[in-house]
Amino acid sequence: MYLYLPVALTSINILIPVGLGLAVGLLSGLFGVGGGFLMTPLLIMFGIPSTVAAATDSNQIVAASTSGTYAHWKVGNVDFKMGIYLLIGGFVGGLIGVQAIKLLHAMGNADFVIKMTYVVMLGIVGVYMFIESIQSMRKKKDAAAPEVKDQKESAVARFLKSLPLQTRFEKSGVTHSALVPIVLGTFVGILAAIMGVGGGFLMVPVMVYMLRMPMHVVVGTSLFQILFTCIEVTFLQATTNHSVDFMLAVLLLVGSTVGAQVGAVFGRKLKGEQLKVLLATIVLVVTIKIVFELTMAPSLLLSQAGGH
Amino acid sequence: MNTSLKVQRSTFKWAVIVIAAAAITLIAGADASAMLTAKANHDHITIDFFYHGSSVSVKGLSDPGRDLVIKIASPEGHQVLKQKGKVAGILWMNVGSLSFERTPNFYEVFSSRRLDDMLTQEEREKYALGYKALEKSIEVSPVKNDEEKSRWFNEFVKYKEASNLYASSEGKIETTTLADGHQEYFILTQWPHQATPGEYTVTVYAVKDGKVVEQAESHVNVAQVGMVKTLASMAKDSAVFYGFLSVGIALGAGFGVGLIFRKGGGAH
Repeated sequence: MYLYLPVALTSINILIPVGLGLAVGLLSGLFGVGGGFLMTPLLIMFGIPSTVAAATDSNQIVAASTSGTYAHWKVGNVDFKMGIYLLIGGFVGGLIGVQAIKLLHAMGNADFVIKMTYVVMLGIVGVYMFIESIQSMRKKKDAAAPEVKDQKESAVARFLKSLPLQTRFEKSGVTHSALVPIVLGTFVGILAAIMGVGGGFLMVPVMVYMLRMPMHVVVGTSLFQILFTCIEVTFLQATTNHSVDFMLAVLLLVGSTVGAQVGAVFGRKLKGEQLKVLLATIVLVVTIKIVFELTMAPSLLLSQAGGH
Repeated sequence: MNTSLKVQRSTFKWAVIVIAAAAITLIAGADASAMLTAKANHDHITIDFFYHGSSVSVKGLSDPGRDLVIKIASPEGHQVLKQKGKVAGILWMNVGSLSFERTPNFYEVFSSRRLDDMLTQEEREKYALGYKALEKSIEVSPVKNDEEKSRWFNEFVKYKEASNLYASSEGKIETTTLADGHQEYFILTQWPHQATPGEYTVTVYAVKDGKVVEQAESHVNVAQVGMVKTLASMAKDSAVFYGFLSVGIALGAGFGVGLIFRKGGGAH
């Protein structure tokens, strides 16, 4: 059955958005990512104008991440304190990132920088997470010494410990200076704004490897943080670009809210390393797909203006 | 029996159509015997939630032996598109934007024979009939020369054809000669759901000896109705409320589904 989308000005088979929502919502509940890096290109592939695809996706993520945060919160896997610090940083980063994009556009090579940032960041995150989680899976199999963490008492770690405003994050079981999540949040916020994505796939590894949080708490906390980012983005897109399609968002969220719940349940059955390997694989597949797109001659050399 | 009944009924229908179309018939040449008519059926397309395109037929009568061209187009406007190119020799990405001036967003042309065979180049360009003629009438910038313009115009047509907004169907007009000697023509075309709301002009050209001798015009109006219209205008005119509504529904749906799953026993 087809339904007409009043803002996208096109008609779509309702099974497509509901199915996409279900699949991306599942990833969201499993890994704590918004899934914008998957959803937006898929919507464009199905004929949704790029600006509408990006804006409506963020609207849909609000629903999926609410559903997912709720599911993870029920089992105590959301670190609200950490989430709020990251949000403060993310907000500042978003403001800086938007200015950076303006500067890039003025310099005339915005698209090159954006695409390259995207490929490099996805590539680094994917490869690092993949190798690290495979290694830690092996170590566990060998039943080696459990004090892996203590070995990594590096200069960086010592520096972080010397910072002021040290505070305990109870849920995550870590102690950091409040500045650390704020600065990291800012960093992710800048990159996310430049790439035009929510930044979940960057935030998750940052929390795992830099904030040393346990994977299950990372997923819940990331969803909590994404929820607020996407509320802000949806609102801005609706008021400045008029590009949120309400109908499309509803169709997507029917699938994604359910998907997020299912993902959260599945996630509890998997180990942290398994989750990391899966997420790393998805990130690498997306990276390869983007590299292909960049190197193969496109069938159409013109596309709609607006968006990335 | 059956067929004669059908013919009778259709003759009656034709009479009605001819009367209706007479009002909108334009006379191009000084030809006193001019009698070209055009009528688009289903000329008021309404977009509701279940809209997935429509079909439009155009029919009418002409003098016998005329070649015919039918052009359906939206008003000319200005469009800006992003342009992909190679960077550093191997990477395809957006390298800038191109603007297309005096360009219809929607353009379909049908003809009874190949356009090149039935019309002189001058006439084709005068009425913008066919892609080659359309290329002359639009402006593309920035381009260095005509060759580059031509290359990007072809890309533009490819882009438009991919979303069903441009089509060229030469030799697709069916004509039959009626008992009274007049020629009747007919086309049936799928109206794409991608065509945005607005007024579209259907122009029929009768051609003799390589020249347009008569024109007739009809219109197809596409408009949103009901909830589709309400939502579309809300998104534009009450953006703040629309933003709150979008976020509110999403939050509500997220919580709602969360609660349902909790009751369903997902938690432990």
